[in-house]
Amino acid sequence: MEHSPKPTQPSAGQRLVFEAKELRKEYDDGRVQALRGVDFRIDEGEFVTITGPSGCGKTTLLQMLGALDRPTSGSLSYRGKSVPDLTDPSTYRAREIGIIFQAFHLLPTFTALENVQLPMFETGRPAPERPTRAMELLTSVGLEQRLGHFPAKLSGGEKQRVAIARSLANDPTVLLADEPTGNLDSENAQHVLDLIIRLHRERHMTLVLVTHDLTIARMGTRTIRMKDGRIVSDQPTDAASD
Amino acid sequence: MAESFRINPRTPPPTDMNFPTVIVRGLLRRPVRTGLTLVGISIGIAAVVALVGISRGFEQSWAKGMRARGTDIVVSNMGSALAPKPFSDTVRDRIAALPGVTATCAIFVDLTSIEDSSMMIVSAREWGGFSWENLKLVAGRLPAHADELSVVLGQSAAEVLRKGVGDTIQIEARELIVTGIVDGGALVENGSVILSLPLYQQITGNEGKINIIDVRATPGLTREAVKSLCTRINTLIPEARAMPAGEHVGNSEAYRFISAMSWGTSMLAVIVGVLGVMNTMLMTVFERKQEFSILLALGWRRTRIIHMVLGESALLGFLGGITGVLIGAAGVKIMERLPAIHGLLEPDLSPPLMILSVAIAVVVGVVSGLYPAWRSSRLTPSAAMQG
Repeated sequence: MEHSPKPTQPSAGQRLVFEAKELRKEYDDGRVQALRGVDFRIDEGEFVTITGPSGCGKTTLLQMLGALDRPTSGSLSYRGKSVPDLTDPSTYRAREIGIIFQAFHLLPTFTALENVQLPMFETGRPAPERPTRAMELLTSVGLEQRLGHFPAKLSGGEKQRVAIARSLANDPTVLLADEPTGNLDSENAQHVLDLIIRLHRERHMTLVLVTHDLTIARMGTRTIRMKDGRIVSDQPTDAASD
Repeated sequence: MAESFRINPRTPPPTDMNFPTVIVRGLLRRPVRTGLTLVGISIGIAAVVALVGISRGFEQSWAKGMRARGTDIVVSNMGSALAPKPFSDTVRDRIAALPGVTATCAIFVDLTSIEDSSMMIVSAREWGGFSWENLKLVAGRLPAHADELSVVLGQSAAEVLRKGVGDTIQIEARELIVTGIVDGGALVENGSVILSLPLYQQITGNEGKINIIDVRATPGLTREAVKSLCTRINTLIPEARAMPAGEHVGNSEAYRFISAMSWGTSMLAVIVGVLGVMNTMLMTVFERKQEFSILLALGWRRTRIIHMVLGESALLGFLGGITGVLIGAAGVKIMERLPAIHGLLEPDLSPPLMILSVAIAVVVGVVSGLYPAWRSSRLTPSAAMQG
């Protein structure tokens, strides 16, 4: 990663991916405090779930990890480099992070194959290679027969699988998922979760999954529980011991 | 991967998706709105092609007419009226005596209504002058003498007036016989009613008056020498102005006024097009806020989003320009056939004007997209998480 932020913890170990210290995020001139001093660290290959009631700040935290927004104060580092100080957050988002949204967020005028190619524009991958790569990814999520379909012709589960394939377009090392099953029925939700967990294991990715569903939260190796912008617990889940 | 296409034959083969594809898809997202915007730009560009094409064609047509008559220098007083102001025919003798001048022909040109035609060119020429020489008879004969109550009609004028040899036309209060139909080698010549100067002066009460002198310079004179001769004529004749034949119409006040009006009207139409594109692109940016935020969240740079918006607006301009050129050219062709002006228009629909019109449309598109692009650059990727 060719960024030039200053390291926040030079002595951080190789496995450390994210580290947050006193991370705060305020909106509306401080009248809304989404994050009120959050401390945590996430190591390479972990599957961390972030859970808590609506408005507790879990999505805001995910935005900070993905450099989609800047914290008001505190520090957040990615592999020892300060995320808010990244000179090129676009490259960080394109190359290091894959994001899965609750509402899928596929672009309606592009086919499944084309949607998966969208993140590849910023990575210098030659245009002729993009469809092949997108086909591989869609095949890996079981959508090899839906390549030319537009989102309107896909079911909710299929849309989310396209979104998952899109999040993997540039081989990110971190996958951020914001309520990935929130808009799916239980059967499709289970398929999508199984897929995300399988990809996490096969690709040795660090997975941070936001959910309000405690059952899903327990699937992670570690669960961070939040309330009112604070972390109220951060501990290994039962699944971690399996 | 090819296996998957055999499994589902409806699946299209994968194609490269490049940035222009993204731009085109953006426009196809709202086809009706895109279409209406294209209509708006097209009308503006069609106005440019039609109005500017006609005014330029007018200038070129006159220049061609001068060349057909073998005129090197035109002496006239082109004021703000379409026809030059009259001056004394004695001026001709003073010019004819100048060194470098081999021949002169005094002319009275007027634009007037004749019978059913609201505007015809009447070209009254010095009897025996060289400006008769280029007229090739298509039918009938030339007037037998200067005082014969007759005219010859250019081919287009004959069509407009629906007259043939032996018919009569009325100029002022006099009935004149059409003795011949001629091909003058240029639209202006073919659109004219041509008669002898003394006869026209007598009919219109302009005895001793002319308003144009065609001058032939010594063969082989350079362009500079011709201009120098013009300067000498202008010094000698303060009541009129001598110009090389090709420049005479373009420098007239009337033509400049027409040209300015053409451009002014066209630009108004273009400004309407600008507002249309800007409105469309602003609506696009507002509607697609989340889409742009998603692209930012996926790693797209802001500059790429800006390029996408500008690309869409430039493409709108380009397509509107092409459509506008086609509409404008078709409109002018239809106008040429209208009975009222048939034979009087020779619009300039040359490639340079077409290219200029499309270029204007693209510039319009890009300029219209600047503000929406700037708005799009202020979006944040975090908005992708909302909704």
